[in-house]
Amino acid sequence: MTHVFRIRLAGALLLLGTATSAVLAGTGPAQQAIIANFAAQAKAADPTFSGFSAQRGEAFFHARHAGGKPDTPTCTTCHTTNLKAPGKTRAGKEIAPMAVSANPKRITDPAEVAKWFRRNCKDVVGRECTVSEKGDVLAYLASQ
Amino acid sequence: MDMTDNATWAGADERGRGAKVWDLGIRLFHWSLVLLVSVAVVSGLLGWPSLFDVHLIVGTAIAVLVVYRLVWGFTGSTYARFASFISSPLATLRHLREVVSGTAPTHTGHNPAGAAMIVGLLLALVVLVVSGAVVLGGIFKEGPLASFAGYATGRAAKEMHELVSYAVIGLVALHVLGTLFESRRTGVDLVRSMIHGRKSSHKAGQNASQHDDTSSVERGARPLLATGLIAVILVSLGALVVHASRLPVPGVRNAPLPDLYVSECKACHAVHSPSIAPAATWHAIIAGLDDHFGENASLDPAVAAELARYLRQNSAEHWDTKAANRFTAASEIAPLRITATEGWRRLHRTVSDSDFTRRSVGGRLNCTACHSDAEQGRFAPRNINIPEETTP
Repeated sequence: MTHVFRIRLAGALLLLGTATSAVLAGTGPAQQAIIANFAAQAKAADPTFSGFSAQRGEAFFHARHAGGKPDTPTCTTCHTTNLKAPGKTRAGKEIAPMAVSANPKRITDPAEVAKWFRRNCKDVVGRECTVSEKGDVLAYLASQ
Repeated sequence: MDMTDNATWAGADERGRGAKVWDLGIRLFHWSLVLLVSVAVVSGLLGWPSLFDVHLIVGTAIAVLVVYRLVWGFTGSTYARFASFISSPLATLRHLREVVSGTAPTHTGHNPAGAAMIVGLLLALVVLVVSGAVVLGGIFKEGPLASFAGYATGRAAKEMHELVSYAVIGLVALHVLGTLFESRRTGVDLVRSMIHGRKSSHKAGQNASQHDDTSSVERGARPLLATGLIAVILVSLGALVVHASRLPVPGVRNAPLPDLYVSECKACHAVHSPSIAPAATWHAIIAGLDDHFGENASLDPAVAAELARYLRQNSAEHWDTKAANRFTAASEIAPLRITATEGWRRLHRTVSDSDFTRRSVGGRLNCTACHSDAEQGRFAPRNINIPEETTP
């Protein structure tokens, strides 16, 4: 009983924390659920976890990473610096806007989120992204 | 009638305009055929995809003309009838020997050499029409023979179609030379007689005594009978063609691409028909998605297995289209790259690098940019359109 209660409490606290940071303004329940799930994982990995940061996510999204493939050093190579505009895949196909405000379907399918972090972190960062890096980026996309 | 100025052919009219030899049907046939064969030869030699339908239409029109000529050969006026001019090979050789020795008589209708040319040309046109239909059916999977002719048969027919078309070009050249020669020899302007239908010689009375016309019996044209016969033949043939064109075509699959396949592939690039690569290539592509032409395109194992199954069941081996046959031999340098195969490169040899890299096309990978039916695996010539460059 206490175990279940603790998880519920942690979840409620996290939701409260992220909500108060205004990161999820304008996002729907699907996005909130996915980000809450990432937050639960982050909390499980690091008890001192205090919520995702859209600002850290923004820095990560726009940073040039040294470990990835030379042709794709940053997220903006394909997604461009304007998150509300479409991007372009390396093969020339249009990518729907990343900002949730411009594309409400963004961050609504957990399998899609997992797939693209798995693929793109390896190509751009050269390794898997940490849960907090992913959560920060999601928070950033949700805030846009 | 001034015998010194005009020919003495039987049937010359009172005004001395020469005998009416070629009826309107023959003249219309001749010049229509000149026009249609010219267009067919030019469109065929150029081989531009945009001329594919022109070639088809003109070929069909030639088939109709040949039917008409065959019927008119039995129902037309005297000199249109096969019976009036078809001679044995021996008689034709004798005529040629007489031409060489200068003792050949003149003929009101066709001389035996001209007759042989007509038979040769009509036969060649029949072979061209039939072999063309086999090419259309076997290679392009269209038309009345699509359900009967396989790709290999289509390729063989293409060889024959090309050979015979060169033969027709040669025959036409020979025909023109022969006509000019005969015009000089007999003094009859044969080109003009094929326009107004009359024959008259400026070589006064010359050769008249040697006049050799086997078909002295004048036969009237029977246009009503001809029209009826042609209508019956064309309607029957047309019905047969329409019926045969609707038969199921082996080697072509019409099922739409499954949603999962489309959504996973199209997330990054144009979706490709599974027909354009053999099962072994698809297997290697799915197995190597972690490094998919330099990109990490890894999939959830369950999704990858589902796509692998679909590709295995719909790979090039299950098709008989041009693409399925031409792209199957993997390139040694880049075994997984369909655009590196010998067949692909040959088919795209006239497309320049700048055409591929222009923004509106987006690279060799993007089949659908120029082939509107690429996803169906068809790649019909008429559906090729290289889009104009767009401004950024």
